[in-house]
Amino acid sequence: MDIAAIKPDSTLDARGLTCPMPLLKTKKALKEMKSGQVLEILGTDPGSKNDIPGFGNKGGNEFLGMADDAEGFTRYFIKKG
Amino acid sequence: MDTEGFWGSVKEEARKNYIAVFEQDWPTWLAGIFIAILALLMFLWQSPWGIVGGYRNWGDWFFYFLGANGTRPEVPWINTMSVSNFGLFSGALASAMLSRQFKVRRAPGIEYVKGIAGGVFMGTGAAFAGGCNVGGFYTAIGVFSMGGYAMMAGLGAGAYIGLRYLLWEMEKFPPKMTDESPKESHKAPRIDWGRVQPWIGASILAAAVAGFYLYSAMGKTQIGGLLFFGLLIGLVMHRSRFCFVRAFRCPFMTGDAEMVRVVAMSLMIYGLGSAVIKWNYLQPEDMGVYHPFWFGSLIGGVIFGVGMLLAGGCGSSTLWRIGEGHTKLVLTLIAFALTNSSVNRLMDTVGINELLGKGIFVPEVFTWSLTIPLFLLVLLFWALAAIWNEKTEKLVIF
Repeated sequence: MDIAAIKPDSTLDARGLTCPMPLLKTKKALKEMKSGQVLEILGTDPGSKNDIPGFGNKGGNEFLGMADDAEGFTRYFIKKG
Repeated sequence: MDTEGFWGSVKEEARKNYIAVFEQDWPTWLAGIFIAILALLMFLWQSPWGIVGGYRNWGDWFFYFLGANGTRPEVPWINTMSVSNFGLFSGALASAMLSRQFKVRRAPGIEYVKGIAGGVFMGTGAAFAGGCNVGGFYTAIGVFSMGGYAMMAGLGAGAYIGLRYLLWEMEKFPPKMTDESPKESHKAPRIDWGRVQPWIGASILAAAVAGFYLYSAMGKTQIGGLLFFGLLIGLVMHRSRFCFVRAFRCPFMTGDAEMVRVVAMSLMIYGLGSAVIKWNYLQPEDMGVYHPFWFGSLIGGVIFGVGMLLAGGCGSSTLWRIGEGHTKLVLTLIAFALTNSSVNRLMDTVGINELLGKGIFVPEVFTWSLTIPLFLLVLLFWALAAIWNEKTEKLVIF
């Protein structure tokens, strides 16, 4: 899937936060979204590169992919199931 | 590139291995095996692995310089846990550099406050329990000190309370949500640190190994060895992102059981190895058995568990995360060391150590023949309960 083509419905800024906060906030943000919507998460914690993809595929949600930004953070995309 | 010749083949192999070792994260189960082996080697070499003793030593020095601490503490490059902590930190720093992951990482203001509070909680809890999640839980269970089980229960309860706090905080300050995604940036950094970092990392590794030989040349081979084992533990922990906190937190948070399985398996290896050592009198039976069972270990575990959730790091992961550049955890470490040193001194003056309990050697109560199966059953039950919870999410509170 072409990551650059994904149009998120909302964006969660978790930059600067470390484990477990990015994951907690992601879980909370997903709860407030509608089925089929796409959440973008911005994060800087290296641990998130394992955590978010692993979590994103649980509970019927779908992890769409991630991409590193030249500014030094990573974008993650999860589609709510 | 010529890949046919001998050197071409060596170069290609080195490149592939570098990617496997320093670019891809290691599986945590592999790290669990490595950590058990390294902890056993440390136990055989000198004394069981611990972290807090080193932090306390650093805190003692601070108060000694202030004049509040009468007796001169042991120097940090001779204190055993302080030396293995230096090793752990150097190993994590070298590993972060070799993986091009070192960066000075800042956090929002409230995170710094939580980092300090977490350090205060952990310093206090570790003083009560006679160790952190490593010395008071992992090593304690491994060397058959009863207190380890009480701290394990306490850590679970503390992690639950800490997670409840984090959830409350999130309700109070909801996540920043926008419907505007930042534009993609193509700005190239001024200095390409990615190219320099691996060389600095390799130099740190070489310096630590040279440090071992230096200790040896001064007739302190035993202490030097602790630096070396610490170095390897730091490297393993960073590459696998090994985190004891997850084992206690994730069953309540996402239901994920992976870390419980890994820690339980690692402890089985460590405990069986330590039974070989102790049952055979290679090291004294009571070595490392001093955890105040049951009140001190239990209450210490609860306090420590809350602290590790606030800080986002425990005794060991605070150190390796500092090696990766997290400034929040630098404050945690300082608060941890100062609090632990103060609370220990306070406990000595007030004289409540008697009330907290005393170190009990499990085989002395149950005999060796019963201790081994009991020990394995407790860990097996822990892992099975976590796996059941992963499927049913019965314990997940969020």
